[in-house]
Amino acid sequence: MVTGYIHSIETMGTVDNGGIRFVLFLQGCALRCRFCHNPDTWLAKGKAVTVEEIIDQLVDYKPFFDLSGGGLTVSGGEPLLQPVFVRELFIKAGELGIHRVLDTSGYCRHGNLLEVLPHTDRVIFSIKVVDPEKHRRLTDSGNEEILKNLQEAVNSAAELVVCYVLIPTINDTDEDARDLSQLIQSFHRKVPVQVLPYHKLGVVKWRELGLQDPLAKIPPASSEQVKDFQRQLVKYGIAIYR
Amino acid sequence: MHIIAKLGIITVYPGNANSGVIFMKGTLTKDCYRSFQGTSWRERIDVRDFILSNVKPYYGDSSFLAGPTERTRRLWEKCRELLLEEHKRGGVYKIDPRTVQTITAFPPGYIDRDLEIIVGLQTDEPLKRAVNPFGGIRMADNACRQYGEELDPQVKEIFTKYRVTHNDGVFMVYTKEMRRLRHYGIITGLPDAYGRGRIIGDYRRVPLYGVDRLIAEKEADLNSPRLLTIDNEEIVRLREEVRQQINALHDLKKMAESYGFDISRPAMDAREAVQWLYFAYLAAVKQQNGAAMSLGRVSTFLDIYLERDIEEGVLSEEEAQELIDDFVIKLRLVRHLRTKEYDELFAGDPNWITEAIGGMASDGRTLVSRTSFRFLHTLENLGPAPEPNMTVLWSQNLPQGFKEYCARLSIETCSLQYENDDLMEPIFGDDYGIACCTSAMRLGKQMQFFGARCNLPKCLLLTLNGGREEASGERIAPNVYQAGPGPLNYDEVWPAFQKMVGWLAEKYVTTMNVIHYMHDKYAYESLQMALHDTFVDRLMAFGMAGLSVVADSLSAIKYAQVEPVFNETGLITDFRINGDFPMFGNNDDRVDSIAVDLVRLFDQELKKHPAYRGAYHTHSILTITSNVMYGKKTASTPDGRKGGAPFAPGANPMHGRDQKGALAAMASVAKLPYHHALDGISYTFSITPNGLGPDQESRIRNIIALLDGYFLRGGHHINVNVFDRELLIDAMHQPEKYPQLTIRVSGYAVNFVKLTREQQEEVIERTIHSRGLS
Repeated sequence: MVTGYIHSIETMGTVDNGGIRFVLFLQGCALRCRFCHNPDTWLAKGKAVTVEEIIDQLVDYKPFFDLSGGGLTVSGGEPLLQPVFVRELFIKAGELGIHRVLDTSGYCRHGNLLEVLPHTDRVIFSIKVVDPEKHRRLTDSGNEEILKNLQEAVNSAAELVVCYVLIPTINDTDEDARDLSQLIQSFHRKVPVQVLPYHKLGVVKWRELGLQDPLAKIPPASSEQVKDFQRQLVKYGIAIYR
Repeated sequence: MHIIAKLGIITVYPGNANSGVIFMKGTLTKDCYRSFQGTSWRERIDVRDFILSNVKPYYGDSSFLAGPTERTRRLWEKCRELLLEEHKRGGVYKIDPRTVQTITAFPPGYIDRDLEIIVGLQTDEPLKRAVNPFGGIRMADNACRQYGEELDPQVKEIFTKYRVTHNDGVFMVYTKEMRRLRHYGIITGLPDAYGRGRIIGDYRRVPLYGVDRLIAEKEADLNSPRLLTIDNEEIVRLREEVRQQINALHDLKKMAESYGFDISRPAMDAREAVQWLYFAYLAAVKQQNGAAMSLGRVSTFLDIYLERDIEEGVLSEEEAQELIDDFVIKLRLVRHLRTKEYDELFAGDPNWITEAIGGMASDGRTLVSRTSFRFLHTLENLGPAPEPNMTVLWSQNLPQGFKEYCARLSIETCSLQYENDDLMEPIFGDDYGIACCTSAMRLGKQMQFFGARCNLPKCLLLTLNGGREEASGERIAPNVYQAGPGPLNYDEVWPAFQKMVGWLAEKYVTTMNVIHYMHDKYAYESLQMALHDTFVDRLMAFGMAGLSVVADSLSAIKYAQVEPVFNETGLITDFRINGDFPMFGNNDDRVDSIAVDLVRLFDQELKKHPAYRGAYHTHSILTITSNVMYGKKTASTPDGRKGGAPFAPGANPMHGRDQKGALAAMASVAKLPYHHALDGISYTFSITPNGLGPDQESRIRNIIALLDGYFLRGGHHINVNVFDRELLIDAMHQPEKYPQLTIRVSGYAVNFVKLTREQQEEVIERTIHSRGLS
């Protein structure tokens, strides 16, 4: 029995145009993103569950997935900090014909990703910002590992979407758009980019955890700003994922 | 039958009525039944057979629909002005405190005679409310006074001195015990002072057969052996009732005549069919001010007429839509005079003009027709509205185009509710309607005795307090258990609670027996019952409120430590809870099974006690908006709910306790066994647009998947709301900006701005699923 540590379950996630999705939020993340909307998943505690327990629930909801084109999404936290659990879960879900999405920041050991990738149908890979210096300021860590992992995801058979949370004044400049586009274009296959607006829903959680929200002065991104950024990417020949 | 009736210039030969042939001054002019198929429905009253013989299932999408005509727009604009004025005047536009409402009491009324293509109003003016004192004179008197009118002294005198009302009758017979249970709100919302409603006349019979044929059939029943053997009270009563039914049918004809229509014969074309049907419904809402006055299942019936006219080239799509639009405008103007206390129970002035749309025929064809679309389309042509109460009978097998249209309208108007046809059709057949919110019944063949609901959490507190009411301390129930200091023991509480439910069930059933005996006697629905078979099946529909509160309470007692806190008189004032416990709404069998047991227990206990007129016991898990009022009257409960806080509506999990998202909440509700709660299990589901999906296309797909999935699991009913909390908060502060904002509450839709502040806050507090991923 493989055990994982989870933060919570959302039986009906619907974003990413992927139908109705059972979203498993795993506990624990090594990044400290200034804009994190789930800071309560950082520390590696959480509730222990077995793969079987999750699979039982998935079977129960399978009709909803089939009817909507949905499935399982593993998010976090950073799911790849628990690669054995995710791998087992994905293998079993795959046997049941359930579509599997991995929602990752890519901030993990290379080997962790390689364990999970072969059993993943779609990877949603979150890139915070391409410039290494900015990345360090934004997350306390460099992005060398992350970009290496991204290349690994590109090389895999899984469908890949790069997700980019647009934070006004932080990662929304023309250079940011250019850097991101150049990165994507360096891949041998076309990878679409999903631009999500930074929102303030996580602020409450920062407060509850007794933490100072470092982006307190940053407003949420407007749909206009998102569209502007998307237009820039399109100019560079990047496909937008909606 | 060979009765020849002279009807002005048109003469009908009911001897030949089966063929619907009409003679004008002896000359055959037009056959009402031309091109209709089938035989059985001609020989006897059988609307279902008529529909199945002639229905044209429609498998396409909504692209054929027509917008409102200029005439419709102008007429509706006039109505909107009137409705706005009504709202400004505190919810009541005008009252006639002198005329006692009957089918024929008022001369014809119009909104704008030149603009209307379907005519008829309850009184001589739109939105003017009439007095209906048959249910109870105090109610009528209070209602008049609360809205600044004085009830005519003569009317008051007649209904106090000379005429017994339903309300008087009931209170003459109530026992002390019944009064106490009522007074303390253990069983409450009882139809003992107002019209019980929940009866659906088969209004389609009037256009299909004409009133004369219906009268002839009723006369024949009176002369049938079953009604000629007068050897018991029931036969005497039934003979009297059938005679009253016949009188009501004569009145119906008279009422139509006053508008210049002769409805003694069947309808000849679509416009007449809509008009005849509306007259029948209008007569019902004139005669009765019942709480829920449902329409039944008329759209596909009317479709047969509309399509025939279209085929004959005499009706265009625009004109077909116009007829339905005009009909729906009329339905939106139905008004009854209620008291303000009534509004606390059933907020927003609802009438439950429930129209069941869609569903499947037993032979596997869909009953979705173009007119199913046209009916729903009124929400676009006239804008959203709570009435008529659009109820989609959902089946996995409904045509995709129809599913998509419903989903889109749910997103755009929040005005639809859905009920599981795959669950109901095997039990109620393929020609049932929905009374009120969730009560299925075979049209024209079954009627219901409405029984409001009992407050289940209060019953639990009664148990824990040794039979004493938790606020007053008065002993109103037997002492089957008394909680002592220290943690409550589940193995003691559960059996004691079962005993208490058993005791309460007997009181509840007998109270209902009294109420319905008196309602039949003093406020009989002769017109609606005339549109039923004479030998009708009866259901008695009980109900419960606070299911999730009790399930969570028992779960807390079982899985955590719950210690009662006593006051100096030994009454429990609060509970101390230590530890976690599973809560209903998270698809956790440990607590969901308790909820299932509760539903089953209640059903079994009710059925131990015979119901009036041999009625079959059913019950619902449905609160309307009364969950707020019930909560107000109930002290703290062992689940941690504080005294006075609202219950969740219907079968909903308690607000905020469903932590795993919508599918888990739905899964819990869907476990409740419909065959033990045949009057319906109501679930109100609210979600933000973004919670439903990133764009319109995925939102539509996801709603359809939710409905298919929920019903596949055995869910019975669901209200679908798609809105942002911020929108409701804005509407609460600036109601004038949102005159038509409609949302679904428990089993019906309501104009949000018509809710009381408390009710608005409760709606805003409810779980609105919104959690996405990013």
